[in-house]
Amino acid sequence: MENNIDFKNLWKQQSVSPPNMEELLSKVKHFKSVSMRKLVITNVLLIATSFFIGFIWYRYQPELISTKIGIVLIIFAMVLYLFVYNKLITFYKTIDDNQSNSEYLQKLISIKAKQHYLQSSVLSLYFILLGSGLSLYMYEYASRMTILWAIVAYAVTLGWIGFTWFYLRPKEIKKEQNRINTLIAKFEAVNNQLNADEE
Amino acid sequence: MEFENIYKTYWDRIFRLCMGFVNDYDAAQDLAQETFIIVWQKLDTFRNESGIGTWIFRIASNNCLRQIEKEKRFSKSELPIHLSEEKQPSLEPQIQFLYKCIAELPETERIIISLELEDVKQAEIAKIVGLSEANIRVKIHRIKEKLTQKFKENGK
Repeated sequence: MENNIDFKNLWKQQSVSPPNMEELLSKVKHFKSVSMRKLVITNVLLIATSFFIGFIWYRYQPELISTKIGIVLIIFAMVLYLFVYNKLITFYKTIDDNQSNSEYLQKLISIKAKQHYLQSSVLSLYFILLGSGLSLYMYEYASRMTILWAIVAYAVTLGWIGFTWFYLRPKEIKKEQNRINTLIAKFEAVNNQLNADEE
Repeated sequence: MEFENIYKTYWDRIFRLCMGFVNDYDAAQDLAQETFIIVWQKLDTFRNESGIGTWIFRIASNNCLRQIEKEKRFSKSELPIHLSEEKQPSLEPQIQFLYKCIAELPETERIIISLELEDVKQAEIAKIVGLSEANIRVKIHRIKEKLTQKFKENGK
């Protein structure tokens, strides 16, 4: 087919917003602080909570071993959460922006697949640890209450754990998985554009 | 090369590349700025193995691909309704039409044709995209045919 349209000429006449060094530099700062802030807040919050629980142990000297195991499980749940959360962030840090597009796409796909795995399996583990930790922790204090109050306390706690396990957890996992699966499919489709006429 | 120099030299080219990808002025500006934020952060890791141009175009095109994740699809700006009847000598509608057509191509083709129109050598495009040079040549040829076809259908 003859090609008599000067695409290059048209292409270069596109009006372009002028470069703005100051705006760019302010964005650099903003960009850094936002992504850092979220990371710091999550870490500080969970670490502080863990310390607080540790402090309770130290201050009130629980007698039963179940209480201590409970505390350890709860702290472990939070450490696990933090570990995975920080891990997910480093996935993105390791991505090399200066790969070719096809390598880059494959890297994105593999990150998404890892994220997919971590989120679904770890979220369940997190709930199990937290739920069983809480139940064990409560036992010592519940055993000092009257039977009625002990039942109420457990009913409320287990009710809440049940709600998160049977309702919130599957909903959260499903939502995340849908999002990630859609993305993986999309990245794979884009990557296939490159492979299509490779042969 | 100093960042400010790079920024001024490449801004227009990167902006057009992003514009070809999303066909949305504001979104293109954001994408281009993100690209230069990455360039700013990574400049000290740049080794002269590849030309600085190849390096920057790689970052820019990867960043465009990356935004697939963030988007719920940029709404591609529609052509003004009166456009098809307009017979003004101005090139403006044609420019808009070209960018619209490019933004409707599959993602990787958008990148390839944008680089070609930016006068990036085909060997360099091959390095940026990660395909063989022969493959790139074929692709460019096909994309140009597609675009020509669209322009003809549209009576330009």
